[in-house]
Amino acid sequence: MTAILPTPKAWPSILLARRGAADPADLDAAVAAGAFEGLRRAIRELGPAGTIDEVEASGLRGRGGAGHRAAAKWRAAASTPARARYVVANGYGADPGSGTDRTLLETDPYAVVEGVAVVAFAIGAEEAFISVRSTATEAVRRLQFAVDEATSRNFIGDDALGSGRRIEIEVRPVQGAYMLGEETVLLKALDGKRGQPEQRPPHPATRGFHNAPTVIQNVQTLATVPWILRNGAKAFAAVGAADVPGTILVDVRGAAKSGVAEVPFGTSLREVIGLGGAPRAPRKVKAVVVGGPTGGILPAGALDTPYTFEALRAAGAHVGSGSVIVADDRACVVDLARLLTRYAADEACGKTIPCRIGLRRVAEIGERLTTGTSRGGDLDLLTDLCADIVGSGLCDHERLATLPMLSSLRSFRDEVDAHYLRGECPAGVCRPIALGVAAGRARRAPAAAAAAAPARAQA
Amino acid sequence: MSLLPSIVPGLGLVKGMALTLRRFFAPKATVRYPEMPADVATKFRGRLQLLYDEHGLLKCETCFQCAQACPIECIDMGGLDTKGRFHVHWGPPETYGERREESALRRSGRSVPDPAYEHFAPFDLGTVDQILDVHDHDPKRLLQMLEATQAAFGFLPVAALKRISERTGTWYAMVYGTASYYGNFRFEPPGANAQAAEVSRRRPSDDTYLAALGASLGGRRQ
Ligand SMILES: Cc1cc2nc3c(=O)[nH]c(=O)nc-3n(C[C@H](O)[C@H](O)[C@H](O)COP(=O)(O)O)c2cc1C
Ligand code: SF4
Ligand code: FES
Repeated sequence: MTAILPTPKAWPSILLARRGAADPADLDAAVAAGAFEGLRRAIRELGPAGTIDEVEASGLRGRGGAGHRAAAKWRAAASTPARARYVVANGYGADPGSGTDRTLLETDPYAVVEGVAVVAFAIGAEEAFISVRSTATEAVRRLQFAVDEATSRNFIGDDALGSGRRIEIEVRPVQGAYMLGEETVLLKALDGKRGQPEQRPPHPATRGFHNAPTVIQNVQTLATVPWILRNGAKAFAAVGAADVPGTILVDVRGAAKSGVAEVPFGTSLREVIGLGGAPRAPRKVKAVVVGGPTGGILPAGALDTPYTFEALRAAGAHVGSGSVIVADDRACVVDLARLLTRYAADEACGKTIPCRIGLRRVAEIGERLTTGTSRGGDLDLLTDLCADIVGSGLCDHERLATLPMLSSLRSFRDEVDAHYLRGECPAGVCRPIALGVAAGRARRAPAAAAAAAPARAQA
Repeated sequence: MSLLPSIVPGLGLVKGMALTLRRFFAPKATVRYPEMPADVATKFRGRLQLLYDEHGLLKCETCFQCAQACPIECIDMGGLDTKGRFHVHWGPPETYGERREESALRRSGRSVPDPAYEHFAPFDLGTVDQILDVHDHDPKRLLQMLEATQAAFGFLPVAALKRISERTGTWYAMVYGTASYYGNFRFEPPGANAQAAEVSRRRPSDDTYLAALGASLGGRRQ
């Protein structure tokens, strides 16, 4: 289990409020701590429309990366005429380097179950799925136990809390591909199909699982819903940043320690990486990778950026998987960007040309940079290619996968140029570089290379 | 039968010229391609041909998308898939490098002995049928069936995939395409042959990614 990092006392605790509980899967303890009170209020007091209104007033936005307004999705699903509607909780946690969703599921499975039940009640869904990564065995076990317990005590099931409504929740472990985190891909996996994304619109909220309106929400988003219903939309809107209320789980891989922490939106990146400790002198923070494998590489100068969807996008990164990785001056930014892009290209689904070939070419440009075999015009090609991928991508994966290279080009131009123009790696990470350049020069202009060689030998 | 054509001199010439003249004023069938786009039926997809890239390598990645899309299952293949995984299937030996007796037999009607060919081992269909029963032969539960099959055999034998395809009424390309997409499925017994082992070693995985990330952060390349 990923460690939970301590946070300042003043920070609110919504998602990890039950950390330290003796047994997170103990229903009585959870109920004593307020579990299923939100669902009760939704059913007894607010009604479906009232529940959506309350969540809309709270300003809740999705924690899965894109930050869409939760209530807008629910309203779209509720107002689309259909014979059946579905709720899918996305607890897959695609980024292998981020343990946020898994930590939540292990710490407070009942909050997720309750959140799913509230959405199902609000939009009129009878069946719901919670998808988890099969390899997160402890999360799967606790979640399954929680669903069984809640069903046997009638919080959910054939007659959820005596509302006369059937709310059936199924835990679905899935595995085998990074792309399963993407919502349309997840729906394919639940349907037993090859995991390739679908074009949106139609958004799943109007046409999703089995062509029925389907609300897909990250598990953190869902676990926040009961808190909002218990404490009111006003109280929630007061937490975090004005445009992004609430908290989010961040997986900090800091200079001294790593773990998951609950962070109010709007906290500066400096404070976020501070949770992972300061680098031991003489090391300095050189860059921060924000957003996982498709994250942006931000320079130390951008540490005052507040952790919100819009601010991070403007800085060239994104919330993504909630991962924040600190790189000190031992790391080479170009090598990092190459590695992230290679992973993103390998994991791309292959359905469309920007995804199948575009990302591979971007990764190859990165590999040429780090091996000193860059060709003239590679950087122009990189920016053009990335612009084309962003313009023509089918899903967000390929669009976001351009961020590591583009953000390093933007913030670490000197370091990229050293690789590109001189075949040098200032951080001393990319070794074969000088050799590669000499070979390349010899290939392009044998005579000039021969003339240059003795000159260098003398110097 | 009139004798006229043969006795009037030059009549043949006139007839020939008449045809020429008629064709001369008839609409032309040739177009100035590529300046002018050819007018083809919207459903026309051209002849299937696998192309080579600038390095002389086949561009086809055996991703099975075309086979999966083809409504009458006339496309079929084998070789290395997108994830670099080796899988023997049937396909034109000249395009897929892997020369297989079965393929040659199917194509030419003659069996061409292939020293590398191994027959599929005898196979217990009962197990697969049981799995199919448990999951109600429902294609929507394909992943669960595949997981159960892999749990039973240690990998996904081609014969099992064929059986699942047959019994659920799902195209083989769909079953194979789905199975090959998910990284947790294997198509060879663990450690079966050197090539399979090599491919799975090279296959990108979360662990190799995390290890490489750690190395890169620590100022090393992997
Ligand atoms: C490549 C890719 C991977 C994703 N992985 C995840 C994931 O692991 N977990 C998640 O909740 N959302 C993930 N998303 C976002 C989902 O598509 C979707 O937006 C989200 O689950 C919606 O929930 P929300 O509105 O509560 O954020 C991913 C998106 C992409 C493009
Ligand atoms: S298998 Fe994939 S790469 Fe090969 S021809 Fe078909 S669609 Fe193209
Ligand atoms: S990853 Fe293939 S379309 Fe997005």
